Amino acid sequence: MKTRKSALSIFLILSPALLLLGQELSPKEIIRKADEKFNGEKTSTSIMAMTIVRPTWKRTIEFKNWTSGREYALTLITAPAKDKGQSFLKRQNEMWNWNPTISRLIKLPPSMMSQGWMGSDYTNDDILKESSVVNDYDHQIVGEEEYNGRMCYKIKMLAKEDAAVIWGHQLRWIDKKDFLFLKSELYDEDGYLVRTELGSEIKTMDGRLIPTRIELIPAEEEGQMTIIEMKEMKFNETIKESFFSQQNMKRVR
Amino acid sequence: MIWKTAWKNVWRNKVRSMVVIASVTIGIFGGIFAVAVMNGAIAQRVDAALNEEISHIHINDPAFRDNYDMQLIIADPEQVISTILETPGVAALTPRTMIAGMANTATKSTGVQIIGIAPEKEKEVLKLYDTTIPGTGDFFETESRYKLAYIGHELAKELNIIRYRIDQDVLDSLAVKNLPVELLDKLSAFSGTRFKSEKAFKKEMKGALSLKEQNAYGALIKEEAWSFRARSKMTLTFLDKEQIQTGAVFRITGVFDIKNSMYEMSQVLVKNEDMMGLTGMAPNEYHQLVVRLNDTELTEKTTTSLREKLPGLEIMNWKEIQPDLAMMTDMVQNFYAIFMVVILAALAFGIVNTMLMVVLERTKELGMLTAIGMNKKRVFRMIMLESVFLSMVGGVVGMIISKILIGLTSSTGINFASYAEGFEALGFAAHIYPEISTSFFITVTVLIILTGILSSIYPALKALKLDPAEALRTE
Amino acid sequence: MNNLKLAWRNLWRNRRRTLITSASIFFAVFFALVMRSIQLGSYDHMYKNAIESYTGYIQIQHRDFWDEKTVDNTFTYDKYLEKQILADENVTAAIPRFESFALASNGPQTKGVLVMGIAPEKEIHLSKIRDKTVKFRLTSESIAKIEEDPSIPEKVKELAPLFENNAYTTASRLQLDLDIPDKEAHVLMPAIEAHARSENGSIAMGEPGAWVGDKLAQYLQLGIGDTIVLIGQGYHATTAAGKYEIKGIVKIPLPDIDNKIVYLPLDICQELYNAQGNLTSLALAVKDNKDKAIAGTVERISTKIPGDQKVMEWREMNEVMVSQMDADDKGGQIMLGILYLVIAFGIFGTVLMLTSERKREFGVLVAIGMQKKKLASIMTLEMLLIGLLGLLVGVVVASALILYGVDHPIIFKGETAKMFAEYGMEPKMAFMTIGSYYISQIVIVVAMVLLAIGYPLRKITGMKVVNALRA
Repeated sequence: MKTRKSALSIFLILSPALLLLGQELSPKEIIRKADEKFNGEKTSTSIMAMTIVRPTWKRTIEFKNWTSGREYALTLITAPAKDKGQSFLKRQNEMWNWNPTISRLIKLPPSMMSQGWMGSDYTNDDILKESSVVNDYDHQIVGEEEYNGRMCYKIKMLAKEDAAVIWGHQLRWIDKKDFLFLKSELYDEDGYLVRTELGSEIKTMDGRLIPTRIELIPAEEEGQMTIIEMKEMKFNETIKESFFSQQNMKRVR
Repeated sequence: MIWKTAWKNVWRNKVRSMVVIASVTIGIFGGIFAVAVMNGAIAQRVDAALNEEISHIHINDPAFRDNYDMQLIIADPEQVISTILETPGVAALTPRTMIAGMANTATKSTGVQIIGIAPEKEKEVLKLYDTTIPGTGDFFETESRYKLAYIGHELAKELNIIRYRIDQDVLDSLAVKNLPVELLDKLSAFSGTRFKSEKAFKKEMKGALSLKEQNAYGALIKEEAWSFRARSKMTLTFLDKEQIQTGAVFRITGVFDIKNSMYEMSQVLVKNEDMMGLTGMAPNEYHQLVVRLNDTELTEKTTTSLREKLPGLEIMNWKEIQPDLAMMTDMVQNFYAIFMVVILAALAFGIVNTMLMVVLERTKELGMLTAIGMNKKRVFRMIMLESVFLSMVGGVVGMIISKILIGLTSSTGINFASYAEGFEALGFAAHIYPEISTSFFITVTVLIILTGILSSIYPALKALKLDPAEALRTE
Repeated sequence: MNNLKLAWRNLWRNRRRTLITSASIFFAVFFALVMRSIQLGSYDHMYKNAIESYTGYIQIQHRDFWDEKTVDNTFTYDKYLEKQILADENVTAAIPRFESFALASNGPQTKGVLVMGIAPEKEIHLSKIRDKTVKFRLTSESIAKIEEDPSIPEKVKELAPLFENNAYTTASRLQLDLDIPDKEAHVLMPAIEAHARSENGSIAMGEPGAWVGDKLAQYLQLGIGDTIVLIGQGYHATTAAGKYEIKGIVKIPLPDIDNKIVYLPLDICQELYNAQGNLTSLALAVKDNKDKAIAGTVERISTKIPGDQKVMEWREMNEVMVSQMDADDKGGQIMLGILYLVIAFGIFGTVLMLTSERKREFGVLVAIGMQKKKLASIMTLEMLLIGLLGLLVGVVVASALILYGVDHPIIFKGETAKMFAEYGMEPKMAFMTIGSYYISQIVIVVAMVLLAIGYPLRKITGMKVVNALRA
């Protein structure tokens, strides 16, 4: 009798804790989970296509991309013919470019970094710096909305005072079930929308569910955007650090 | 005696004398004032450059200014600095590091020259801190845990840190300032708009407003639409000592406006201590030392002396750094003098004519004077004195009027607002404060007296040639 | 007797006064005309230099190019358009250009540069870039050769090392630096030039090759024969990448440009940026560069070009300079205004004297029956004649001086000359003919005279004959 009572009391004491375990995640946690989905793999090997859309023209570049953590990345352009064979190497804070047409290896200086990578709306800065969405912001859930048929947490991220980010705040729509970044709105300090990022065509690649189509839309320019499509993606293949070297830039196929 | 007589003679024909005096007054006044305006503009420009931009002397590695290579630091800096400070004439010194980089905001980016300074030392040498636009902050005064940057107005506009926007607040304050209703209506069509750039703003305004409206209210609208967010963020990226890219987010501590668009577009001032952590440069490594002298007149002398003491470094004074400034101050002095001479020459015609008439109409009287024994020299001198008095009275009145007017306008200044764009692009303020040196007044006085004397020669000679007998017989 | 004859005779009754008064008018007119000529001549010289060496008077560009100078805002240039434009009566040449930004690298060092794709033969109409190639350089070898040359005097040998590594685009500058007076020049210079000569190759359409600014070449430590690599963003976001042999070094008077300029042949440049057949600008050289002619040309050309292009004229492209010119102009006008004001007073003074002196005469004339109206008109004619006399002589003498000055401008020497050379200008003060300005001077003089005449006319009309006779 006594044991049963104590067991019951223990259960009663513990039950709120048990309930909590099944409770909602903190906004920071949600972001962390989404971030890890996006960036968490040790290495990635992918084949992608990037389409640059402008009011009067459109261009598509195809490339292979290898990454290791956040520090190393190697990109090889495979199409169109004029740009084929060009490669970009990122090692921590440095970015290099190999151009077979002129057989030259160039280190990209800060001035190149601020323009769009290969003319797109992604800045080289975006690619190099990659501030932490988890650590550089304060997060709060401001609602739940449906986007593209999926129910999402709507999270507002306020840039921390000390953080090395240029944005004022961000709004992110994160899929409740699979923690995918489906939509992001980036705002400057005055509260004006500067950029929108949309993720769609969610597919399973190498066992993981990811949006395979990402659209980057600058707010203040008419008719302009950049579309990235992931054709193939493999995660956690072994890639040695020596792969990310200047010599390899010239050899990689 | 002659003086008194000559003076009285001048006033015998009041109207005639007044005409001559009036012409001299106007000529002198006009000339001096025009010169004062020009002089004021130039003096302002030179002062601005010396006080706010370049100061007196720059010292750096001989090859540094070719390409601003960050590896070219000054050798043996402590020794060099103490040598400079010991040199007579030197008032203060500020050390700087200079690195080329990129400045980025959420929407724009541009190349800049990043200058790492020691704010306290900087204030002793340059008055740039005085030019902070009210409401935008200060010159590194407020303590902050962030890295701070002090930038120019033009750069702030270029990076969209300063934006033009029209929203309800702006419309309301324009209404309070009595903007006509039709104009407010036109502008409310833009409510909620934040313009992409200053150019875009101007273009839209030009399209929406009539020319009359632009001229009358353009400046006011622009002022109200101007918006700035204190402590805005900006990233600076550059290469460090090892040629690796680095950078950080800086917050704007203040925005300066020195009416020199070129300078404002490119310079970003930051604390050297903030830069050191990023560049990997050591505390005592500098690219350039900027020196202020006790007196601008000491420039040449001090430059020579420094060159002797520091043969391994390039020593440039402001005249060499900006030769157009030197040219302006040097060449223009001659021009002023020539201008006054021309005016006085024009006046001389009038004076000669008048004096001739004076002589001819007093033929009888002069003849009589000569007949009773007044010697020719005295007659000559009397005529000359009359001429000089005529010129001097006009001259003195002219100088007094110009001095008063210069005094008045030198504090309020004259506004050349409609030419502002051209002026400011060249580094001149469009608001000019006339000024003139006392030595110029003295020069003018001397020139006036000379004119009086020279103009009297011909008429006086005529007077001397008069035959007393003939003269007495004249009617 | 005819009024005019009377007036004329009256003038010579008091010869001195007439002459002095007209002399003052002569002075003002002469001065005004000569100053104006020098002023316009200087503008022409300075600004023409700036305009003609870079933008030209008229340019055709893509409609959006001026606001956003990117490679994407370029326009297509074809033979048909060229023919149309060259057919215009005022156009002497069309100079095509492709300008953009790129990174130049020698491997470890990269620097932002300005790339200018040019048609070298056509640039003689505009930037005359061929003249700016470095023809002489005082390298350490040249200096050694000079020091060993027995025919060269000691003082030149002492000066030479001070200018080590200086590049020269003209022999005369070299001569100036080495302080060789003109009379010794033809003896000494040939030897010095031979020691310091620097051979430049040319760049031509169809042949990859580059001309590089002197300071840029020094920074990248590249010389003739070395390769320069250019990387940038091309048309429609393609990559622009190319490497070129440096065929020659140029020296641009403005150090800010000299340390970042690279010239390529036009077609090679277009290929680099993947914008074959496109131009950033087409500058037009004109026969007549006066405002009216330019406006007319702009209007005609505007009708011939396709809708995505527009015509810009030099004022729009050089706004800062235009403001400066305007400010200068106004300043000059104010000064002349003061001058004329002073003269006007002089005339008034003369008129006053005249009137009071001849009061009795007027009284007599009216008493014997001359109509006041007639008297007034004679007086007016007298003053006008004085004015015209001064005007005529002023115009004649000024014109003579101006015409002489146009062909023989004042040449500066010494420090001032050096300064002009820094900006790439000839050191001279130029004159210019000033057609319509004469008219404004005439108008001013006539106006002054008529104003002054008001006083005596009033006196005449209000004159009481009795009082006048007693004067």
